[in-house]
Amino acid sequence: MREAIRSAAPNISIDDAVLVEKCRLGDSLAMERLILKYQNRIYNVILKICTNPDDAAELTQDTFVKVIEAIDKFRGQSSFYTWLFRIAVNLTLNYCQRSAKLDLKSLDAEKYEHEGAAQALKDFLSDDDSLDPAEVAQNKELTEIAIKSLSELDDSQRAVVVLRDVEGMNYAQIASVLGTELGTVKSRLSRARGNLRKILESNLK
Amino acid sequence: MKIDPKNNDELLNSYIDGELSQRQQTQVKRMVTHDQQVARRLRQLQNCRTLIMSLPAVEAPDEMLEQIKATLERKTLLGEQPVAADVNRGARHLLARKVLAAAAMLALVAILAGVIYTIVAPRPETERFVAKAPEPAEGASQAVPITHTMAGFSGRLELRTNAMVAVDAFINRAIEDNGLSDYVTVRSRNGKSVYSLICSRDALNLLLTDLASIWHKTDSAALFVETDSPVEPVVVKAVTADQTYEIINQDSLRDAVEVAANLAVFNSVAELMPGRELFSAVDEGRESLVTIPKPVLTGSRQKPKRKPVSSDQKSFLTLTIVVTAN
Repeated sequence: MREAIRSAAPNISIDDAVLVEKCRLGDSLAMERLILKYQNRIYNVILKICTNPDDAAELTQDTFVKVIEAIDKFRGQSSFYTWLFRIAVNLTLNYCQRSAKLDLKSLDAEKYEHEGAAQALKDFLSDDDSLDPAEVAQNKELTEIAIKSLSELDDSQRAVVVLRDVEGMNYAQIASVLGTELGTVKSRLSRARGNLRKILESNLK
Repeated sequence: MKIDPKNNDELLNSYIDGELSQRQQTQVKRMVTHDQQVARRLRQLQNCRTLIMSLPAVEAPDEMLEQIKATLERKTLLGEQPVAADVNRGARHLLARKVLAAAAMLALVAILAGVIYTIVAPRPETERFVAKAPEPAEGASQAVPITHTMAGFSGRLELRTNAMVAVDAFINRAIEDNGLSDYVTVRSRNGKSVYSLICSRDALNLLLTDLASIWHKTDSAALFVETDSPVEPVVVKAVTADQTYEIINQDSLRDAVEVAANLAVFNSVAELMPGRELFSAVDEGRESLVTIPKPVLTGSRQKPKRKPVSSDQKSFLTLTIVVTAN
């Protein structure tokens, strides 16, 4: 389903221009359509970065409010899609840094009591076989471990991983959202995945 | 080919993410095929990516849209503090209107009080019959101010005529014939001649006697009699030579002002009477014309009789004669 959304992104951006223009003219219906179109994706990205559902909901609201308020200033130099996510990610990172809301509980403190999950993760990290994504998604314990490990990443690295692997952005889009160079995105993503694996391994020891 | 592990990871990640060119992809595939370590590392990175990608997507709370709209509405309301400012502005406007209304009421009361005072307040005797003086001809009063002296009379006689040259010549000759050259200052400019006389009553009477013979050549004549108060002078419009003589020859300035005031009223009434054009003819003694009875003042308004000049009035009088061409 996510892949289907990603593949539809170019078409969405065409509609975005129309909706944004209508929204500028005060069309509340267009504004609602923009919100409905992106609210789940924005919320999902924010939640993966800040990990707290309440904070994520609040930040999602703030994002759309800020977007609607500033939509007259949107000049279309970048796509609405990247502009929207830039606002969301910036708000989220600033909020996390400012309020230290991130739940950085050590994975050691929360034992992997579920043998099944721990074994699945060991298998996953054994790199003998490629893991089936559908199987991972169905394993609740495994996803919890993954989310907690993700939360232990550095903010900027976590943002890159989320934008790439959760939202499915390409490197250029990530660079546009984060306001960085393409090479920075490459190196940061590479370090982030390497660190994430180390975190997962250390948490299993 | 030996590749730095850091760069190797970047290359492998880019390969996983589909960010490499065709040539780079071929290069990576060759590396993976020939190097087990690279192949293992690739699987590690792929699994890591798969793990994150497999995280379930979470939907936003159902009430998200409504909450966003509510927040926007609340912010709009807060942002519409100009509305509050408008309320304040409205209050200020209302206050200003009240103040203006109060000021208008005060002004109205003041005007009414002034009017009532004008009606009921006792006026000085000299003002009782003083006709409202019209604005002097522009330039005339400024160029020829009435000179205040301690004499029994001070005033200005303004004559308008179409026969400027004849009148001027006559006045000059009369001044010379009566030996008043030393007492007169003559100025002529822009169709206006100004004769400023400071002389005895007798000398002025002689001049007035002569002026009476050309009075008919004037189109209008007005005598401005200066009073001893700072108010406007008493103006006798359509004044005749006889009236001028009468005013000037009063015993005191007070009498002169009173007579002038009476004559001002008299002439004003006569001006409003039908057939007024006949009055001048009557005054001139044209017996062929139908005689229309002139209005007669009674009581205090009775036309004052000429009083003889007392011998002790040797003080100088001031009269400025202004002759203006029509």
